Amino acid sequence: MTILNESGIPDVLPPLHAVNDLAQRLPDALIVVAGTQAEAHLVQSLPAVPSPNLPPFRRNQRVIFAVLDPDDPPQQGLLASRIVESAAGFRGTRLVLLVAGRAAEALGIDAEFETRLVARKLDLPAEVVNPDAPREVPGILSTDLEDDVLAAMVNLCPKRKTSDLVETASPAKRGGLFGGFLRRGTETSHSGGGRPVVLLGGALSSGDARVLAAELSRAGVEVAGSVPGSGIRELPPLGEGTVVGVMDPNLTSAATAAERRGATVVKTLMPVGVDGTARFVQDVAEEAGSRTSEVVRARSAWEDLGVLRNRIRGKRIFFTGDTGFEIPLARFLADAGAVVLEVGAPRLDRRFLAAELQALGPDVDVVVSPDYRGQTNRIDESRPDVVISSPGLHLPLVARGHLCRSPRDFLEAGPYGYGGARRILELLVRTMERAEALDSLNL
Amino acid sequence: MKLLRGVYEGPQSYGIVRVAASIGGVHTLLRALPGEAYFRTLYGARERTGAMAPVTLSPMREGPDHSMAPGNLTRDLSSVVRRHPKAEIVILARSEAALLSGEAIPTTLPQVEGPGIPPQLVTFPWEQPGMRETEAAELALEDLIHAGMHHRPERSPYPTVNIFGPPIFGPGAAAEYAEAERLLDMIGVEVNARVPLGANARDLGRLQRAWANVLLYREIGESATLYLQDEFGMPRVTTPMIGAAGTGAVLRSVGELCQLDPKSVQRTIWAELASTAKLPWYARLEPPETFQNRRVAIFGDFTYPIGLGYALAREVGLEIIACGTYLTHLERDFRFHAHTFTEGAFVEDDPDRVATRIEAAKPDLVVGTHLEEGVADSLGVPFLPLCPPVSDTPFVVRPLMGYAGSSVLADTLDKVLRENGREPAGEAGMQWTTEALQEAAAVPLFLRARARRLAEEHARSLGSAKVTREIFLESR
Repeated sequence: MTILNESGIPDVLPPLHAVNDLAQRLPDALIVVAGTQAEAHLVQSLPAVPSPNLPPFRRNQRVIFAVLDPDDPPQQGLLASRIVESAAGFRGTRLVLLVAGRAAEALGIDAEFETRLVARKLDLPAEVVNPDAPREVPGILSTDLEDDVLAAMVNLCPKRKTSDLVETASPAKRGGLFGGFLRRGTETSHSGGGRPVVLLGGALSSGDARVLAAELSRAGVEVAGSVPGSGIRELPPLGEGTVVGVMDPNLTSAATAAERRGATVVKTLMPVGVDGTARFVQDVAEEAGSRTSEVVRARSAWEDLGVLRNRIRGKRIFFTGDTGFEIPLARFLADAGAVVLEVGAPRLDRRFLAAELQALGPDVDVVVSPDYRGQTNRIDESRPDVVISSPGLHLPLVARGHLCRSPRDFLEAGPYGYGGARRILELLVRTMERAEALDSLNL
Repeated sequence: MKLLRGVYEGPQSYGIVRVAASIGGVHTLLRALPGEAYFRTLYGARERTGAMAPVTLSPMREGPDHSMAPGNLTRDLSSVVRRHPKAEIVILARSEAALLSGEAIPTTLPQVEGPGIPPQLVTFPWEQPGMRETEAAELALEDLIHAGMHHRPERSPYPTVNIFGPPIFGPGAAAEYAEAERLLDMIGVEVNARVPLGANARDLGRLQRAWANVLLYREIGESATLYLQDEFGMPRVTTPMIGAAGTGAVLRSVGELCQLDPKSVQRTIWAELASTAKLPWYARLEPPETFQNRRVAIFGDFTYPIGLGYALAREVGLEIIACGTYLTHLERDFRFHAHTFTEGAFVEDDPDRVATRIEAAKPDLVVGTHLEEGVADSLGVPFLPLCPPVSDTPFVVRPLMGYAGSSVLADTLDKVLRENGREPAGEAGMQWTTEALQEAAAVPLFLRARARRLAEEHARSLGSAKVTREIFLESR
């Protein structure tokens, strides 16, 4: 494995595009995007175009744009009161997320102050999400907003030490918004016999955390809950003593937020692919105090995939990079016998992904901050069998005769667990079969 | 500050890039945050040609610039010149975040070694945060024409005109130009240049060859054609070429300006009316009852609502109960033109308020942008997305202008009016309890009519003559 830094302009879908999808995923949240006309237009226009290379169109009523007038920035507190007014129109709002980036800051919006005001007036949790916040490692991924939102959700998890959880506290103290699942958290930590496990991720497709929870449960570990899970009311307690298993490779901020609260974030492979799932289950279980071996399970999973593996053996795959999921996908596909030509990484946090990078095969090149024009040239030269491409390059590459698939398709299919490994290979095989069928036509 | 559920227009940089990307030989360097580079993706998804958008990002980065990575404006400009040797004009556009940062921009291109003539740099000192897409696109087109004029070419020996139409992403933009060109060709007038879509940088310097300018899409071409009129005395035709009457008026005006024989122009118009233009034919075929008391609400930019409003009111005989625009800077002109066919002209750029207006007008048909789809849906009436911005990206584009466009309009109307033609205009009013009405008042305006409809349907399915609070809550 070689890591090169191209210092180019990567082709990445703007992280803000995810606002509509997130609103769908968090049905009890009201999302307010504060900024200029530009932010509102971006959020609205990208998903409005039905296209195979863009996320599906789901406009959500719970997304509101606070379009600021640059000539007349609002007074402090006005944004908060307007948010409070509009929140009244929505039933069942349990969380307010204020997405405020560089433009809002430049126009003098104190997002922290406004959210504190909103939280106080509505008596609801409210958090700021800053899509333009500087990160430790430079670069952007199209999934950064999910990361930021999950980091905010981690901060909303009830903060309890394990020792507190085990003790029975007075019911009055446990009342309020989080009372219900706190008790549940206590019970699971009892039944598991070890430290409570919380899964972090799966924000892009629902139900994925359940798949992994089932795998962990087979290994004898009960999962207390997941973030984002199915809503703010279901957030598990997360704090000192909690074991956090990170499902997605893009969740650097969310993992850091969990660490800051004293939780133990397990440094292991992402639960993508056979070996990834096996290592994930094994390492998370071990951290939670339950020794287990996934070797037999992994071996039989690999055997089950035999036919599919034969179909992709030797196929050459190029990842242009966009979501951050490319690295675990490439690792799995290389293990399954495909030849990974290049993996683009618009941002690469080497420390966070250390295990993944170590597990990448020796022949894989990772290009950090790749330049989309350079990538296009390299793709033209190497003529891969499949390009897992970012949305901006998808059409130009298809027009040049390359077979393209969006990394999002793999996420939509549910890439986690042993079942996910099969779905990843099936998707790839289906793509190639269809292309072969179309190529064989005499037009 | 406004709290909105959607926006009709993008920021100024988006308008500039739309115009620039319409013209061949123009490359744009967009100064923006790394997370604002969505034009390339949008271009790919909308145009679906497989071409790469002629736009390069110059990302604004935090902190001192030590690396050679893109981000330094001067260096990025030379890189654009080097990488795109065929570009004749290089534009520097700035996103709102870049404008708010207040950084200075270069006014000349750095020297780059290479064969051929170095391109010209065009910057827009008038850019400011808060400016809207359409206004910026209009000004940018005028500036580009200024920049393209190096010498004054002779007027063409035979009658020619320039067509000023919509930029890329306009619904069926290319088809509108093609239809206009086809009709002008039929009356014996050649098209000198299509601006901006289909022009190249060199065409911008040859605009004065034409005898007149035909303004298909006023939103973008207004300033440019006024400049050409004031500076070079080039007359312009501004009637929207929508519907058979509008198209005929444009062709007659062009004929007059190009000193053509009016009888020959009229013969062409008659021939087209007999063969291509089906809107008048449709209006005559249908019994008057199809259109009687059918109310239409139209909302969109400028040309389309005005043109469609006039055609639907006069040529078809529908009642235009409301007609609005989101282009607040064109308010006076819009009201002036809309008053010729409706009492319900309005100007509004908040989709929620537009929805309220349309709901209050109780239309039988909504013609609008993609943001009005929800209103039509909530009212349970047919919807035609005929005004930009629309989200459709068909492979085959159909015109709405000219005679062929009038036939497209006739087909579209025929479909929606026939489908809903025989239904009674309104259901017998269902009673609501006070508590249910209170609950309904808490629903956002946008969704209220839909919620009401669903509740009444639910009540009917339960066999109840009244909508109670419980029924209302169950139906949601």
